[in-house]
This record gives sequence, C-alpha cells and structure tokens, in this order.
Amino acid sequence: MILASLFCALLAAAPPDEAPVSGDCSADPAALVAEAAALLAASGPEPSAEALSAARRLIRSARRADASPDLALEAADLAFAAGDPEEGGDLLAAAADAGPARLSPAELLLLGRRAVERRRWREAIARYRELAKSLAAREQAADWIPRRVRELELEEEAEAIAVPSSGPSVEARLALADGKRALAAGRLREAREGLRTALQLEPSYVEALLALAALEARAGRSGAALKACREALAIEPERVETLTLLANLLWAEPDRVAKEESLVMLDRAVLLRPDLRSLLRLSANRWAEYGDASKAQERLDRYLTRATAKERDDTAALREALLRRTKAPETSPTPAAPPFDEPASAAIDLWRKAQVYAARGDAASLAAALALLDEAERLDPAFAQAPALAAAIHERRSEWKDAEEALHRAVRADPTRSTTYETLARVLERDPARAGEAAAAWIQAEQAGSTEALFHLASSAERAGRDADALGLYRRYRDEAPAGLNAADADAAIQRLDRRRSIGVLIVALAFGLLLCGVAVALYRAKTGLTFEEWLSENPGRAPEARRIVGRLRHEALKHGGLLLADGADRIETGEAATRQATAELLVARLYGGEGSRGLVAEAEDALTALSALARADGARLNLRHLDPVFSSLLRGVRGLRRARRSLGRVARSGSSQPIHARLAARLLRSAAQSFQLASGAEIERSVDRALALPVRLDALRALLARIAVESDRTVPTLETTGEDLPTVRICASDWETLWRNLFGNALSAGRLALSAAKRRDAVTGEARLTIVLADDIPRALTADEVRARTPDRGLGVVVEILRRNEGTIDVIAAPAAGFTKGIRIELPIVESA
Amino acid sequence: MTPRVVLVVEDGTEYVDAFRRLAAEGSEVELLHAPDAASARQILSGRRVDAIFLDVVFDRTPPEKLAGDRARGNDYLAQNQGFYVLADLAPLIASGVRVLLAHDFASHPARLAALQERVQGLEGVAESAGINQVMGRLLSRV
Repeated sequence: MILASLFCALLAAAPPDEAPVSGDCSADPAALVAEAAALLAASGPEPSAEALSAARRLIRSARRADASPDLALEAADLAFAAGDPEEGGDLLAAAADAGPARLSPAELLLLGRRAVERRRWREAIARYRELAKSLAAREQAADWIPRRVRELELEEEAEAIAVPSSGPSVEARLALADGKRALAAGRLREAREGLRTALQLEPSYVEALLALAALEARAGRSGAALKACREALAIEPERVETLTLLANLLWAEPDRVAKEESLVMLDRAVLLRPDLRSLLRLSANRWAEYGDASKAQERLDRYLTRATAKERDDTAALREALLRRTKAPETSPTPAAPPFDEPASAAIDLWRKAQVYAARGDAASLAAALALLDEAERLDPAFAQAPALAAAIHERRSEWKDAEEALHRAVRADPTRSTTYETLARVLERDPARAGEAAAAWIQAEQAGSTEALFHLASSAERAGRDADALGLYRRYRDEAPAGLNAADADAAIQRLDRRRSIGVLIVALAFGLLLCGVAVALYRAKTGLTFEEWLSENPGRAPEARRIVGRLRHEALKHGGLLLADGADRIETGEAATRQATAELLVARLYGGEGSRGLVAEAEDALTALSALARADGARLNLRHLDPVFSSLLRGVRGLRRARRSLGRVARSGSSQPIHARLAARLLRSAAQSFQLASGAEIERSVDRALALPVRLDALRALLARIAVESDRTVPTLETTGEDLPTVRICASDWETLWRNLFGNALSAGRLALSAAKRRDAVTGEARLTIVLADDIPRALTADEVRARTPDRGLGVVVEILRRNEGTIDVIAAPAAGFTKGIRIELPIVESA
Repeated sequence: MTPRVVLVVEDGTEYVDAFRRLAAEGSEVELLHAPDAASARQILSGRRVDAIFLDVVFDRTPPEKLAGDRARGNDYLAQNQGFYVLADLAPLIASGVRVLLAHDFASHPARLAALQERVQGLEGVAESAGINQVMGRLLSRV
C-alpha cells in the first residue's frame, strides 16, 4: 500500500484548490484510478498542485462509478496522495463499513481520531475497538485502547445530556405566570398563548414546558403533552416532577410500550426521591397492573418497611393479590435518550460528565463527579447547575451541610431556578428547628414557578389550620399540575377541605340560626308576659296565695337584706381587717346560707320561682325581670348579691389581704341595697290589695239572696240591712260571691234575716277590719266550734275555708236583736293601702 | 354608765347577731334574745329592759309556741306573730321603753297609731332602714 508513504504528504499538505483534469470523464473506475496513479507517479515525490487536483478529480469520478470496498480502499490511498484527507477518510470509512479487516491499524487509528475530532463518539468507539482487535491479531500492544474507549463512552453519555437553561428572563417568567393564571381559570387558549410566548423567549424553560404539558393533557392532546414533557426532561433529567408527569402521561397511553416507559420513569423518580413513599406505592400498583408481580412485590415491600398500620391496611388487598399471582416474565425497557447536538462550554462539558458519574452512583464515581463540578463552578461561577448537581450528590451521601451550602451557591448563581429552592426546602425540612427557613424556601420555590411547592405550601397551610389558604393552594396545584406528582393527594385534600368547609359553613349557619332564634326568643320573652299586677288583676283568686309569697319575699329580701346591706358594705370597705372579715362572714352566712339557713338569696329566689309557678298554673307567664316596674329592681338586687358572693367570700376568708375584693363586694352590696329600696315592698303589697279590693254593696247582697232563693225555689227571706259607706274589703269577687251563696243558702229556711256591717280595728294587729253579722230566726242552735269543724266542701265549711284563705274570721254570736235566734259574724280585712 | 338593755324577740338569731356584730361595737348595750312570746315575757318579768326589737314573721317557731287565737290558723299567726307578741308583752312594757316592730307602717299610719295606743313607745321599721339606724333608735330614749 502506498498509504504509509503518503501519510506525511496527507498530514502536511494543505488542501489545494481543485483544478480541471483532462481525463476525469472516463466511465471505467479502475481505469480512472489507474490514470490517477499514473499521474501522481509521473509527478514525482512532490507532485504539483495541478497534478494533485487532477488526481482527486479522477478518484472522485471513479468512486461515483464504483462503490466497491476494494476500489474505495485503493481510491483512499490515492486521495491521501492527492492531498485530500477528507476524501481519503471518507473512502477509508466506507471501506471499513464494508469490512474493517481490510484496514490497517494505522488506517483504523486515523478513522478513530477523525471521529473524535468530529465528536462522533459512537463511531470513534467502534474504530478504537476495531483497532484493538487488529492489534491483537498482530500481537501488538493494545492495552491503552479500553481506557480510551471508556473516555469516549463518557463523552458520548455526556453529549446526550442537554445544555441546561441559564435561567428564564423576566419577560418569560411573566408570560409563564399569565399562562398559569389562565390555565387555573380554565382559559386554555389564553394559557397556551402565554406559555408559547414564554417558550419563545426561553425555549428551555422547564416550568413553561411542564405547564404546557399540563395544559395539553387537560385539553386531551396527549401527544403534545408528551412532547412538552419530554423536552422538559431532556433539559432537566433529574426533575422528579417532570418524571412523574411524564410517567402519568405515558401510563394513560393505550400501548404497552408507553406503559413500560412510564414505569421506568416512575422508577427513576423513586430513585431520585426515596423519601416520597407514595411514589413507591404508585409504582407497586402500576407494576401490578402491568402484570409484573415480582417487581410490584419488590416495590410494595420497600413501601411497607416504613408503613403505618393504616397504610398496611390500605395495601392489604394489593399484597394478597400479588401473592396469588404467578411470577410474570420481567421486562426492563430502557428508552434511549434523545441525542442532542448542541455545542457546550467547558463548564457544561464538565457538568455533563459529572451527570454521567452521578448516574453511576458508586462512591468513586460520585467523588469524580464532585471534582468535575468543583472545576465547573470554578470555570463558570454563574452556572447554577453545577452546585445544584453537587448538592444532589451530597444529599445522596447524606452530607446535609455540604448539600445546603451547594444549594445556597446555586441560588446565588441563579435565583430563578425553582428546583434549587425545592431541594433546599427539603434539606432544611430535615431539621425541625429550621421549619421556618424551610417554609421560606418553599415560598421562594413557589414564586419561582414550582408547582410542587404549591402542594407543600398547601399541606403546611392545612396542618396550620388555615383551611381557606390550603384549599386555594391545592386548587392551584391541581389546575397547574393535573397529572403532577401529588395530583391524587391534592384532589383528595380538596374534597376533604371542601367537605370540611361545607360542614363548617353548615355549623356556622346553624349556630347563627340558633343564635338568631335565641335572640328572637330572648326578645320575645323580654317583651311579652305579664307584670305581677297584670297577672293578679286577671287572676284575683290567686292573690291570697301570692300575698303570702310576697310577704315572705319582703321579709327576706327587703327587710332583712335592706337592713344588712348598706351598713355591711360600709364596714367591709372602710373597717379594720377584723371588722371587715367579721362583717363578711356574717353577710355570707346571712345572704348565702349557713348552718340551718338557706340564705336570703335562695329564699328570695324560691319565692320568685313560686310566684312564677303560680302564674304558670293559670297559663300566664310572668315577666318580672323586664316588664315589672317593682320586681325588676328586686331581681336586679338578687342578681347583684349573687355576683358579690365570690368577692365577699374571699374577704370572709382572707380579711384584708386583697382590698380589691372588699371594694368590689362593697360596691355590689350597695347596688343591691339600692335595688331593694327601689323594689318597694309597700308597692308590691298595694298591687296585691288592688287585685283583691272589693267594695261591699249591701244592695248587691240583697239581690244575690233573691237570686239564690229563686234558684233554690224557696221564698226569699226578709232581709233587713244596716250600715252605710262600707269600706273595701280584701277578697276577690268570686270568693265573695261563693261565701255569700253558702251563707245565704244556709239561711234560706229563715223567715227573717238581718245584715249589719261595721268597721273596727283588730286589737292585736291594729288592722282595720269589716265585721258583717248575718242574723237569722232559725231555731236550730249553732256554735263557732261546730262551724269551724265543718268540712270545706259545702255550706259553712266552704265559708270557713274562704275566710281562712283571705285572712278573715267567722264566729257565731247570740241574737243581735229581738226576733232573731243567732248571728253569724264574719270579719275581713279592710284595704287601707290601695 | 349602765348599759342599755335591748331585748330582741325573733325566731332565729339574725337580728341579734347583726346588732351584736355590726352595730353594738363600742356601744354600752346589752343584747338579750327571746325566741318566742313566752321567753320574752319571762325576761321582761325578771329584769329591766330599755328597748325591745320585735320581728314580725316567726315561721320557724313551733306552732304550739305561737301566741294568739288558734282560730286564725297557724300560718296567719306565724306571719303576724310579732303583733301577738307585742300584745302579749304590752302589759309588761314599762313606759319609756322603746319598742321597734320590724314592720313598715308607711302605708298604714292609722294601724300604727292604733297599736301605739296600747304601747306608747312603739315604732315601725322602714324597709330602707340600715342596722345602724335601727340600733340608734333602740339606744335613744323615748
């Protein structure tokens, strides 16, 4: 081969300009090659430029006519000899493709180097491997070649990694924000425009691509969604959000290949985020659905290593189903990463290689990756991906402090990358004491466009009890990432919070309704009902009973209470400690009860309760508190005494230790005393008297006698009456009529009756009383004891009972005048106060 | 100086306790207590009394110890026992003895006047009167 002798000319000669050759029109390739060889041979060891040009023309013509390897190899020699290394290389490559054994080691080495120069890593690797075989066949040393091949493989893998974004511009971020807002509001057309704008401004804007994928998924354009998602993954291969979104989109595809790829994506996400146990469970479910029980089982087992009891219960069905299944053949599809032919800076080259090392995961590779990243950071401090990847490696090695420092460097280099903040937040979350910093990092991530941050912020808001905030954030997350990492959890949270809010609204509405009802009832009760006097005027028959209750009330509250309160208050406020304590002790015992005493307050309240119960028996409701002018003050006084109990008790126990209690007790006691003074007992008594006041009219009694006689079909006895200007007695009209019906009924057999009335004062009580004597001529004798012994169901027994109830008396006296046999004397109190 | 002797007639000890603890401090006064008419009569028969304070309602007194006409009924007698005690003691009350009845006669001046015909030193106690005021009146001479 003449190639070896021409290597020097090949490498040294500059490509000359082509010149026309006379014989290049021959149709026989072999002849053309021969002609070229002859031309070169004739030109001597250093052919002229014209000769070289003519030889190249002949060779090309020959190649066009015959593409056989032998000719290509021969033509390659001549091309090198003619000063066209490109042509020579192409011809050599063509010959090698047909059969590498035809090429010498030197030719293979040349082709390998040429491929490296052109960054055609795969071809270069192939050439070096062929060279290794060729040298081995010649028993020549080739131990350097495997190392070179590994370097080239690294270059190839690194080349496959896309050039990272240098951070979106403000315009792009604004356009993304517009797009997201429109997406959240369901305005898909407008959202698409915003996202397109963002991507036009920044084609490698991952957040925009993810949002676009979400939009397209929602619009049902799965192809477009997948495309956007794949682009995002190519730009940022370790972004879990992208991986899960792509996994979900692929899983929704009908074909099995897409599902296989989906499972791979999910497994990658699990590897990147082992802390997200929900991913493991999802992976287990999907592998099971896919039909690979062993892989599903393996993932489920990992999930269950840290599962709670509830999580175990939730996965029990899957576990049992997997145990029943026979092991299915395993599949492990590995989709090829898309090629990327963009030139990279030195820092990016280093970062790419570091990515490859990081992906290998062994300790040596991780250390090598960190070294490369250090160098990348040194070369380009603004290249944020380098410290971000370094942080990921430190995280993997549990070097949290180093990871945090690397993330801070990444933030300084590019404050717009949401993933940096997300990772930083997750690192900070490991320390509960730094929850505040973690929360701030999540907020920054959200501001940088992270949808995962939305979910985290929503969860935090929910944990903090800010349900409204949480609901808004969950909704935003669901709108912006409908197929996102936590989409299912967000949906569940939204349902949960909606339900809770509905219950809350219902409870508030119910409470408000109850409150309104309560207010309405309270208002109704405050404005309706009867005063004490109104009740008695409607039911005067209750007055005698009410009079006794009121008497008790006056005695307890107004007389005893009034006597003690004002002076007691003075002594408690201004007295010496001992005096103060002694007074308080006395008042506590008197007001609130002690040995053998129920206390003034309880007695007064019992009396008021008894009055209300009495009114209720008539179907009436007393409104003493709000409507009654007298009892309202009395009730206020009783309430004041109740309020004074605690402070009075403290004074009684401690004397002077806390003067504030003494002052408070004194104030409340005085207030109660004033209320009792306003609640005039005399006015209460007058109310009763007014209800019972009955003017005595003798002519009315005469008419009643006549009526009773007619009703009994008897002759009306003669009735003589004496007395005028009779006073008003204290008895209700019905009692009065019943009384006289029984008295007259008992005397109808008389032929003559006499009725006389007179006022007098009771010698003992000083009370004014009206005495009425009914004399008759009935011969039957009657004594006072006989009358009082009658049963209270008829006749004089009824009279006795009525008089007893109305504080009256009955007696039998001797005949007041001639012609009469006896007289029945009744006496009733006269109303003076009314 | 001879202390003033005040007899308090009531079915409990509320008034006498209140006088003793709230009003009698520093006063030259001797407080005597009688729970019913008989006891009061016995005290009055045996020693000098300068003033008498009579409660009206004796609803804690056993019915057999109530003074008055049984025909009026025990309830009536208990509610007005002070008047009956007064009537019972009237013959024993010397002139110049102040008698306060725990009853407000503001609406019934004629009734008070009728009672004063029997007991000259009789006065009622207004519901608004404080313990010091009552004690002051008991200690004042007729």
